Amino acid sequence: MGKLSLSIPPAFFPLLVEGPAMAKSVTTMSAVSTSEGLLSTRPEVIQRVRGGPAQAPWGAIMVYLTPALLVYLAFTMYPVVLTFYNSFHVIKPRGAEEYVGLANFITLFTKDPTFWRAVANTMIWATVAPVADVGTGLVLALCLYAKVPFARFFRVAWFTPVLISYVVVGILWMWIYNYDWGIANQFLRTVGLGAWAHSWIGDPATALWALIFAHAWKWAGFNMVVCLAALFALPSEVLEAAELDNCGWFRKLVHIIIPMLRATLLNLLILAFVGKMKVFDLVWIMTRGGPLWSTETVSTYVYKRAFEWNTFDLGYPSAVAAVWFIVVMAFVIGLTWLFRQRERLEY
Amino acid sequence: MPIPRVWTHALLLIGLALYTVFSAGPFAWVSIMSLRTTPEISASPYGLPERIHWDKFLTAWTTSHYGMYFWNSTLVVVSAVAILTILGAMAAHCFARYRFRGNRLLFFLIFSAIIFPPQVTIISLFQVLVKYGLFNTRAGLTLVYVSIQLPLTMYILESFFAQIPQELYEAAKIDGCSDYNIFWRLTLPIGVPAIATTIILNFISLWNEFLYAVVLITDEEMRTLPLGIQKFMGDQMQDIGMIATGLMIAIVPVIVVYALFSEKLIRGMTAGAVKL
Amino acid sequence: MYHIKRVIRRWSSVGVLIIGLALGWMSSATAETTLTLWSHEADEAAKVAWAETAAKKFEQANPGVKVKMTWYQKEALNAALKAALRAGQGPDILYMEPDQTEYIDNGFLLPLNDLINWNNVEPWAREAWTHNGKVYGLAKEAYTIELYYNKDWMKKLGVTLPPNGQVSQAEFLQIVKKAAAAGMTPIAQGVGDRPFPGAYLTHEAVLKKLGRADYGKLLDGKLSWKDPRIVEVFTWVKQLVDAGAYPKSFATLKLGESHYYFHTKPGALMFPMGAFYSGRAFVPPDKGGQPENFPLGVMNFAAMDGGACNQCKSLLAGGSFSINAYSKNQKLAGALLSEMATPEMGTLWVSTIFLQTGIKSDPSKVTGKYAAYFRELAAMNKGAEYFIGSPRNLLKGQCAETYVQVVNTAFPGGLLPVDKALDMVNQACYKP
Repeated sequence: MGKLSLSIPPAFFPLLVEGPAMAKSVTTMSAVSTSEGLLSTRPEVIQRVRGGPAQAPWGAIMVYLTPALLVYLAFTMYPVVLTFYNSFHVIKPRGAEEYVGLANFITLFTKDPTFWRAVANTMIWATVAPVADVGTGLVLALCLYAKVPFARFFRVAWFTPVLISYVVVGILWMWIYNYDWGIANQFLRTVGLGAWAHSWIGDPATALWALIFAHAWKWAGFNMVVCLAALFALPSEVLEAAELDNCGWFRKLVHIIIPMLRATLLNLLILAFVGKMKVFDLVWIMTRGGPLWSTETVSTYVYKRAFEWNTFDLGYPSAVAAVWFIVVMAFVIGLTWLFRQRERLEY
Repeated sequence: MPIPRVWTHALLLIGLALYTVFSAGPFAWVSIMSLRTTPEISASPYGLPERIHWDKFLTAWTTSHYGMYFWNSTLVVVSAVAILTILGAMAAHCFARYRFRGNRLLFFLIFSAIIFPPQVTIISLFQVLVKYGLFNTRAGLTLVYVSIQLPLTMYILESFFAQIPQELYEAAKIDGCSDYNIFWRLTLPIGVPAIATTIILNFISLWNEFLYAVVLITDEEMRTLPLGIQKFMGDQMQDIGMIATGLMIAIVPVIVVYALFSEKLIRGMTAGAVKL
Repeated sequence: MYHIKRVIRRWSSVGVLIIGLALGWMSSATAETTLTLWSHEADEAAKVAWAETAAKKFEQANPGVKVKMTWYQKEALNAALKAALRAGQGPDILYMEPDQTEYIDNGFLLPLNDLINWNNVEPWAREAWTHNGKVYGLAKEAYTIELYYNKDWMKKLGVTLPPNGQVSQAEFLQIVKKAAAAGMTPIAQGVGDRPFPGAYLTHEAVLKKLGRADYGKLLDGKLSWKDPRIVEVFTWVKQLVDAGAYPKSFATLKLGESHYYFHTKPGALMFPMGAFYSGRAFVPPDKGGQPENFPLGVMNFAAMDGGACNQCKSLLAGGSFSINAYSKNQKLAGALLSEMATPEMGTLWVSTIFLQTGIKSDPSKVTGKYAAYFRELAAMNKGAEYFIGSPRNLLKGQCAETYVQVVNTAFPGGLLPVDKALDMVNQACYKP
């Protein structure tokens, strides 16, 4: 089975498609099946029910959950709660705090233009980039699915950026965007478009897009791999039937493949969305939020307020983080609900 | 008249080739630069090495302490990934298989931790570590790493485990497996593809993790690899040649892990289908 | 069998915690007296060597005490420091710069009045760190803001500078225009990784125009940035920018790269920079230093028309060492700093690092090929009146952030017109 070097079973994001629609996505499940072979095709039988026995065996549950829960409570929950707590105070270092109620939030919403700029930038990023990432990933996966020669080599080459850390990606792209000897401008100069040579990350108009581009470069390969796995898990009968019906490949794509990949694509989009809403590393390495706040994101702003401003107060950055947490949650819940509605409607 | 397939294929190949250059080109460029010295690079950034400076890797490993950082990174990340796999799988198994009050709520609660940007929790995390005496220790950093990757690991594994047909479990129960055995003998072996996936993802994220490493470890002897690069990124001069060398040292393990585990993934998939 | 496995797995995570606790406890219990020092400048070997020389002397004089130094880059240092101090941890001695007053305001720095022999320290270095009568840092590094230039290129343009190195506003603009016409980059500068270099030219000009008293008021927020004198200065700077004074890569060029830009490739006519220029430039070229026989010259910033103090310059205390107020080894830390605050160490600093220092030193002892540079530097500074501090030291909060984005980056980058720039800064900074 040399076709796949890394595949993730496509239905590994079923959170969006609970309930009746689950049966549909389960048909695309790959390796796990009974003796009937690689691809199970009995949608009507496999109804996943969460939990088998009528009584939940509490002993077992405790054993399985406790370690993870301990780590979670101590290292995640507690700091998060502390952050919300901090947001209602002005924190002096060494434990001294001063309760200020909603003062931090009021300042945040009325007197902080940088915050709103950061929000705008982050929202642009989080709406444009997931579409680009997932779209590119899908296109690449389709290319590989169409059985081009050297598929294996392409797959490895296209996945490499995912393995590279943000520090490396940032440094690399700074060198690429370098005004004097970066390859972007050199390329433009050699093809005679020297006039278009820009200081890509030095110009507020282009900086954000330059960063989005570099970030997408890194993640397209990940999306590709997931889509590829999903494609390979599609039941071949349906595709063959479409062939027989003499559909052009484009119509096949739009009307059959994409709908069948819907679950995977939606999950990828949401994951990408969440990731972009808290993007920090790349921005920090390349531009630190400049020039003129054109690449300031909420995360970089929080970091600056917590570590770079001439103050030890943690209350304000905590307030920013708390607000942003709620915003992102609202979006995720909203999007999930929205997609689930559409799924239900189809029945 | 439809375009002859030869043309569409050729166009496709050209497109793919271009994208490959776009995607893998920078990496190839860095690997070439890692073998050249900085003055050579400043003179001609895109040239090929005239003399291959393998000694740069040696310099980085010894003089710049990359060997030590590498060891620390390995220790911390491998431990963290191992713990993550066990803890995450256990929790995922529990959420996926058992129906109990608060199942969904708890699950969502843990998953929602993904959304929080790390920049703020780092201070309180720091305080927690100090309280437990784990600040500036590799054990402390390991536990923090476990906590930041736990939500995603659990999420991926849970959705995969939930796919396993209930019949298999019923059959195992009839065969006399206890609840505890089911996890080890059924869920884990079947879940190998997903587990391999999480191992790869966790390794990639943690190997390259920077923010927590810089704040929570202050002893030079315990520093991890991402901090090592910083040594060459001083103000004096961007030592581009050495940065490239350092980058290569950092990238190679990730590629190795990826190569190793993706094979496991395939084998897992084929084995799973055949054995049952 | 599986039962055992399960038990093992279940307790392994608890075990890690216990081991971690034990290790943490053990390491704190068995340490001899170790003095910890966290500092910036991990990549400047000469500065590291200087500190280690002092440490060795100290260890010889104080057996049983070890000095442990951890070197960072500045930003990583700040992150680590802030996290550590907030949680009640942190080193005994820390690298500080005078603009980091939040450490003083929050009581993290120990007053050094009684711990160091202040006769060995320059009075202005002491003053830079004095708040409410208490001195909080030892300024091992100090620098003036200078204007370096390439002597050969200036000659090529046919320009002869007056003996005090200072031309008028109009003449300066002429020089810039001439240079641009001759295909040279008139002024090298880059703000890619620092919040201050782009503003050098501007704030030196404002200082000369306003004089020390009003400049101080401006930075305190008591003078409006839309004062007509300031508008005049900014208009002049805008003329320079529009004449193509700065390189196109200004916004992203890093500090180290801007040095390289000036003295090696592609080269520039002038370079406003702190006098720490020499610290970087006087190392071998393959470590980023200037080429051998580079015709380095020092001139003065242009005199402002109707300027209140054309001989005023900024003088800054740079990298300093302070003591953690919560250190358990205060006396020992003080002793280490005293080892540094001696004339020999001061002279060692100047002669190996080629920078000015707040510690009293004997510049006449500096010999070698750079002696001529130091003489020229001294000549250009003759009769200068110093303003201690810079906008970066003295501005805070939203004002500092806006100043950096506008006066350091956007305005010299040609992105903002004069009135818009001054509006933005005024709004953030003027608090009548």
